[in-house]
Amino acid sequence: MELLIDRLTKQYGSKIAVDCVNAKFTPGVYGLLGANGAGKTTLMRMLCAILEATSGEVMLDGNNIIEMGGDYRNLLGYLPQNFGYYPNYTTREFLLYIATLKGIPKKIARQRTEEMLENVGLSDVASKKIRTFSGGMKQRIGIAQAMLNHPQILILDEPTAGLDPKERVRLRNILSEYANDKIIILSTHIVSDIEAIADQVLIMKNGNFIQCGTVSELTDKAKGKVWELRVSQSDAGRWLATANVASYRHEKADIILRIVSENKPSEAAVLCEASLEDIYLYYFPTKEGEE
Amino acid sequence: MELFLAEHKKMWKKRSTRICALLCFAYIFIAVNILSFQWISFGSYKDGFGNHFDGYSQIRNKQAYGEKWKGELTDQVLQQMIKDYQRMLKNEEMDSVWAADWSNINNWLRTLYPELMAKNSYELMIDYIDPYQITGFYERRQEKIGEFLDNNGQTGDEKAFLLQMNSKVKIPFSYEWSEGWNFILCAVIPNTETVIEIFIAIVLSTIFAGEWHDNTSTFILTTKKGWRELAYAKIWTGISFVFEMFLVLLLGNIVTQIFFLGTHGWNMPVQFIKMLAVAPLNMLQTEVYQYIYILFGAIGFAGEIMLVSSIVKNNFISVLIGIALLYLPSVISGYLPMWAQKGLDLLPLAGDSLDIFRTNTFHIFGKYVWSPYLLIAVPVLIGVLCMPFTVKCWSRRLRD
Repeated sequence: MELLIDRLTKQYGSKIAVDCVNAKFTPGVYGLLGANGAGKTTLMRMLCAILEATSGEVMLDGNNIIEMGGDYRNLLGYLPQNFGYYPNYTTREFLLYIATLKGIPKKIARQRTEEMLENVGLSDVASKKIRTFSGGMKQRIGIAQAMLNHPQILILDEPTAGLDPKERVRLRNILSEYANDKIIILSTHIVSDIEAIADQVLIMKNGNFIQCGTVSELTDKAKGKVWELRVSQSDAGRWLATANVASYRHEKADIILRIVSENKPSEAAVLCEASLEDIYLYYFPTKEGEE
Repeated sequence: MELFLAEHKKMWKKRSTRICALLCFAYIFIAVNILSFQWISFGSYKDGFGNHFDGYSQIRNKQAYGEKWKGELTDQVLQQMIKDYQRMLKNEEMDSVWAADWSNINNWLRTLYPELMAKNSYELMIDYIDPYQITGFYERRQEKIGEFLDNNGQTGDEKAFLLQMNSKVKIPFSYEWSEGWNFILCAVIPNTETVIEIFIAIVLSTIFAGEWHDNTSTFILTTKKGWRELAYAKIWTGISFVFEMFLVLLLGNIVTQIFFLGTHGWNMPVQFIKMLAVAPLNMLQTEVYQYIYILFGAIGFAGEIMLVSSIVKNNFISVLIGIALLYLPSVISGYLPMWAQKGLDLLPLAGDSLDIFRTNTFHIFGKYVWSPYLLIAVPVLIGVLCMPFTVKCWSRRLRD
């Protein structure tokens, strides 16, 4: 199975959301990383055939996904960023409704529903109305509905948003188990999730893929660019304002800054091991929302 | 089929749908039917104010009194009925007066013998008229129909068409107590229409628009069945809702009608309700027509509402437009020329099932068509025509 993106472009008026991107997805887990407005959701919506591309196409095994219509959607599972639900439904009723939309026969639908409820840890509350649920529980229903038809292509837009650490670990495990011979594409702001699950990482900026590779390939690229610097509390403000600071922590009276920079930021700076988060900060040095 | 059942279940799971259905049934069954029959419309007068809660027994009395005059309605019979009524009134036999069919007879007199009406009198015509002046009842009716059509500007071929229709009305009329049927055809059924249209507007205006409210368009678009099959399932759900509401109300109406009135007088001519009606129909045929009018109009209106719901992304605005579709035609109708008013009447549920008693016609391709035929055919066609546009708009708006 091969999902091919060929010169895919989406333009809204004069704004280009996705700019002539190319990629090839074969079975595996792909993490899409990028700041808000980088074009991740637009790309995902085009991959789901919800959004028509301005130019270019998406092909599955040589067939245009728009032309495949229902056959493509039958292979697809999608968790949208803002997942909607019917507040009067119980979890079980909601999943059975989605199963009907997905054309799953009734008997199998019942079995899959129970299976997915178990997987996402909602069996105990299967008969409760969705409107009474927390954000994290609703998100888990979203994940369950996306996987209900055992899709060959699973696209998850911010699946870990609203999940607590334990739930995130559970999701990672579900996806790792599920990945086997499927294509899973997920986007998230939580870099550690990508690090833990993704076989391949695609970094998007201004509608383009600016970096692709495995986590180790990408972190290798940041080698020699991540520094730790001990500064006094009074100096910390100046460093935070001028340098690309990945993180900082208090240590006794001082502050230890983690700085991503091409050059040694100060004589006192010490080179340290790079992580995917550093890569992210390297490519997106400005604060979220500033782009 | 499964998708339709799932969509149908979804609609009935909404609290608003359940409340609407309950209110609709409660209003029609309890207020319009039971309370009206037993108390408001047929309960005997109290000395002070209001009515007794004795409609059932009063109706039995009225039917029994009507039985006395059952048979062909001739001038002599009518004279005797008036005379008997005036005697009871004079002797202050108020229970018997209440049982007489004075309301309908008074209407006939006012229509056919207006020259005998006393000026500046607050009394009912039947109270003071000399019964022996009431002669040539059927000739009078024929004459008054002619005058009525002339005054309406319905002359020439149109008048001939309507008179031809009137010639099929079976004369002499066969009399039975008719007030009960009057109440069914002129109050219960029009009320049913008013109620069903409001609740259809409220429930079906959210059938498509509600998906935006619930923010579910994205997963609808990515499922195998997709938007198209779901749109059809929603349309069938809307139509089934109309049938369900209609059947519930019909059942409620029929049960109370049979309980309070029985089948008494089903084959009386509708002219007992409106003397100048030209429709050669009996009460039961008229009732069937009025229910068909409501059902077909409701299907047409459901079609309109679902189209609005597929275009508008907001539940509240969708409901408002739905209500406007119902009432705007009658609001603006008064400012329009007659041909435009008649055109507006053809919109689903904008017209009136009481047209069966009227002499309205449409002139189409050189032929005159009696308005009740078009009032049931055109609205349902409008609804059906809306459906493909609904599917189209739904798909376009989903991708916005």
